[in-house]
Amino acid sequence: MSSDPSGAEQPAVQQQGDSIVAGRPFFSGPAGKIFIIWFLMTTVGVLIGIFAPHHLMPTLLSHEATDVWRTMVLFTILAAPVAAIVYAVAAYSLIAWRHRGNQDEPPEDGPPLRGNSTVTAIWLGTSTLLVLVLLAWGLAVYSSEAVAEPHSLQINVTGQQWLWTFSYPGTGVETRSLVLPINRPVQFNVTSVDVTHGFWPVDLGVQVDANPGVVTVIRATPDKLGSFTVRCSQLCGLYHSFMYAPGSVVTSAQFARWLQAHGASTTTAQAAALVKK
Amino acid sequence: MTTDLARPLLLEDTPLGPTAGGFYRRQNAYTGLATGVLFAFVGWLISHALLQGSNWGTDMVVTVTMVGWVVGFNLGVGTFNAPLRWMLGHDQTYEDELYAAGVGQGKKRYYKFCTDHKVVGTQYLVLVVILFFIGGTLAMMMRTQLITPHTDFLSANSYNAIVSIHGMCMIIATIIMVTGPFTNFVMPIMIGAKDMAFPRLNAMSFWVVVSAIPPLLATFVLGGVDAGWTTYAPLSVQAPPAMDAFSITMIVFVISVTVSGVNTIVTVLTMRAKGMTLGRLPIFVWASIVGAALSIYAMPALLIAFTSMITDRVVGTSFFVAGQGGTGWLWENAFWIFGHPEVYIILIPPVGAMLEVASTFARKPLFGYKVTIAGFVAISALSIMVWAHHMFTTGWAPELAGPFMVTTEIISIPTGIIFLCLIGTLWKGRIWTRLPMYFVYLFLWNFIIGGVTGIYLSDTPADEFFHGDMFVTAHFHYTLLGGAMIAATAALCYWFPKITGKMLNERIGKTAFWMIAIGIQITYFGMFWEGFEGMPRRVAFYDPIFQHANDMATGGAYLLMLGWIVLLYAGIESLRHGPNAPANPWHSKTLEWKVPTPVPLVNFLVDPVVTSDPYGYGEPEPVGPVVIPAPHPDRELVPNLSSDNPLAKDDG
Repeated sequence: MSSDPSGAEQPAVQQQGDSIVAGRPFFSGPAGKIFIIWFLMTTVGVLIGIFAPHHLMPTLLSHEATDVWRTMVLFTILAAPVAAIVYAVAAYSLIAWRHRGNQDEPPEDGPPLRGNSTVTAIWLGTSTLLVLVLLAWGLAVYSSEAVAEPHSLQINVTGQQWLWTFSYPGTGVETRSLVLPINRPVQFNVTSVDVTHGFWPVDLGVQVDANPGVVTVIRATPDKLGSFTVRCSQLCGLYHSFMYAPGSVVTSAQFARWLQAHGASTTTAQAAALVKK
Repeated sequence: MTTDLARPLLLEDTPLGPTAGGFYRRQNAYTGLATGVLFAFVGWLISHALLQGSNWGTDMVVTVTMVGWVVGFNLGVGTFNAPLRWMLGHDQTYEDELYAAGVGQGKKRYYKFCTDHKVVGTQYLVLVVILFFIGGTLAMMMRTQLITPHTDFLSANSYNAIVSIHGMCMIIATIIMVTGPFTNFVMPIMIGAKDMAFPRLNAMSFWVVVSAIPPLLATFVLGGVDAGWTTYAPLSVQAPPAMDAFSITMIVFVISVTVSGVNTIVTVLTMRAKGMTLGRLPIFVWASIVGAALSIYAMPALLIAFTSMITDRVVGTSFFVAGQGGTGWLWENAFWIFGHPEVYIILIPPVGAMLEVASTFARKPLFGYKVTIAGFVAISALSIMVWAHHMFTTGWAPELAGPFMVTTEIISIPTGIIFLCLIGTLWKGRIWTRLPMYFVYLFLWNFIIGGVTGIYLSDTPADEFFHGDMFVTAHFHYTLLGGAMIAATAALCYWFPKITGKMLNERIGKTAFWMIAIGIQITYFGMFWEGFEGMPRRVAFYDPIFQHANDMATGGAYLLMLGWIVLLYAGIESLRHGPNAPANPWHSKTLEWKVPTPVPLVNFLVDPVVTSDPYGYGEPEPVGPVVIPAPHPDRELVPNLSSDNPLAKDDG
């Protein structure tokens, strides 16, 4: 069957494939129009990637949270052209080549294209390349975060139905609110006394489950002053909704004073050493 | 056990003897219900009497009662008739088989244990719609609760119970939403078969899953499952007796899906018509067998998980209890070894069905048929190696986060092939904008969003922010609802005329389409917003900072639900007042459109002979001599040589 549409109704189709060869302007052929749609959609996607996470995410109080934000931006920018090409081709096919008029069957079939090895190869090559970029980025960020810092502040976190307890080993301080000194790596040693909870200091951009009977570890380095909320990210029973605790990132001096005020069993000198170590 | 049903030509009119069917005659869904209740009561009576005051008494009583229900229901509905007869030394006569296939019973056969694959498919379709409306109602209750930060609509316990049952009800419904109705009804006709390979197992897979639903709903009166659909241990080990009923539901469901998966694979491998080579199978058939193979791999993990859960709860083993040497991580691993292949068990069959729709309505051959099949196979193979990306933040084996991130992101390459196939098929197509094609475009839109947001979550550092929050909820609703379920809806609109014999009312259907399409975007963009802000999943009450995002999600959810109700109305209206459907309203080339509508009990009066694949749109008719196979000694072969049909198929 012929693949030529009726030229009077769909002038765009007649130009397909030969837009450049025939000397027609690039932007009036299908490739050019698809390029325009693709370009606009990519631009929108990139703008969303740059601005949406920035506006929607909470204050990024740690190095790790900033990494999450960077990842969101980068991945969106990389994904936008791919998503846009799918949308552009689908949209252009619908706009230019759809059967118009009544709801009856189109009078003729489309061209019998059963595949195109060049297109398939380009598609597979591009997606493989993009996946490799994403993997390289993700693994690099992950390995940089997984390193144990030698002088990190140890904090033991205990979840129970339905509250969090934070203790600062060596000081005897045990509280229901999480206070962290700025610019000092923190290692959270997380466990639970009953069921599985999810320890999630939201603005620090990290989380790990609190499992009964084992200690799990997560690290973060707060690098901005501010307050945040520790939430529970695993359904843990009746009052899961209410399982949260206040948290804040303070200066080293404030932190030392705070430890003292909460009855640190050590002397001021020791507490200061704990802070500065 | 196979009986040649093709002997009488018009079986519907065949008079059956007064004893045909034997015990089947007395059985239907109501006797199943009565026997189920009786067995449940007897089970309760015995276990209650024996176990009064013992440690795990209540759990044991609930388990025995639910097992009693399941066994009783299936006994009463006729699931075990044939095996019982074999045990008694009889076999079913030919007449009995005809009765079991529904001959001469009119509409009553839809309430019975019926071995006709078309009846089973229709029964599944009704069940799936009911399950979706139960799950949807639960979703609306959750969204209503979340209108304000502290709404008094639901208690914390009811909210948790609803979260869990909404989740599992929808998972059950989506797993069977295409393999149940369409694989059963359409797939055997597509390959030119008379029925599924094991018609009795086919009927069994349906009635077994029916018997699994009451225990699922009974959880609401047994204290509620408060651990989410993932039922993480140890919370689920401590949960009320509802958890026992929930576990029985899952175990019984696994039996149904596994049986149905084996049936699908055997049917495709052994029952194809002459000339229907593997390279000529419609893409939907490939998707069905790939999904079925994956379910045979994945479902046993769930069976093991829930069996261990029951023994933990009922007889005091400690697979998952940390204090006694177990670990919740064992549960999480077992669950996700099932749970990640499961999303592809849900996704692949509807995507295959949707590609049939795309090819038919673009009036073009499928683009990259073999590459797409390779994509399906690659997705399934990779999907069994990615489960621990659900566990990046559990603390289990942080050293495996890297490898699982690699496998998870690689799976986006074969998934991308599906998009290539889809846009390649749409490219230059004479796109026929009927209702099924609307849903194909909606799938395309949604699944890209679901896929891109999935890439963020596959990145371990990003997942350490987003895990367990509403971003994840929005992501998987975009893939499972916006992707799989919309693709299944495209398939439903496409096959509606063939299954029901009526044309679907597209005016109402398109209204529903726009409500669904817009509703999805509003609802789940609201949830993405909640997720970015850091709202955890599964909370009945929340911080007021999340209110605007929640209001957006709730408003969209109401619109979405209303859209589904309008679509249901379109279906019912068309069933009652719609015009009768011709045999092939879409001028499609697959075999199911070559048989009359409604499809007679014997799909093909004469075995079809296939000479090409079903995607010959826009191609010249096959030229040269048509090879007519040597006739089978006792069958008449009538190859179709008509000019408009490259698929040689007779019309009887």
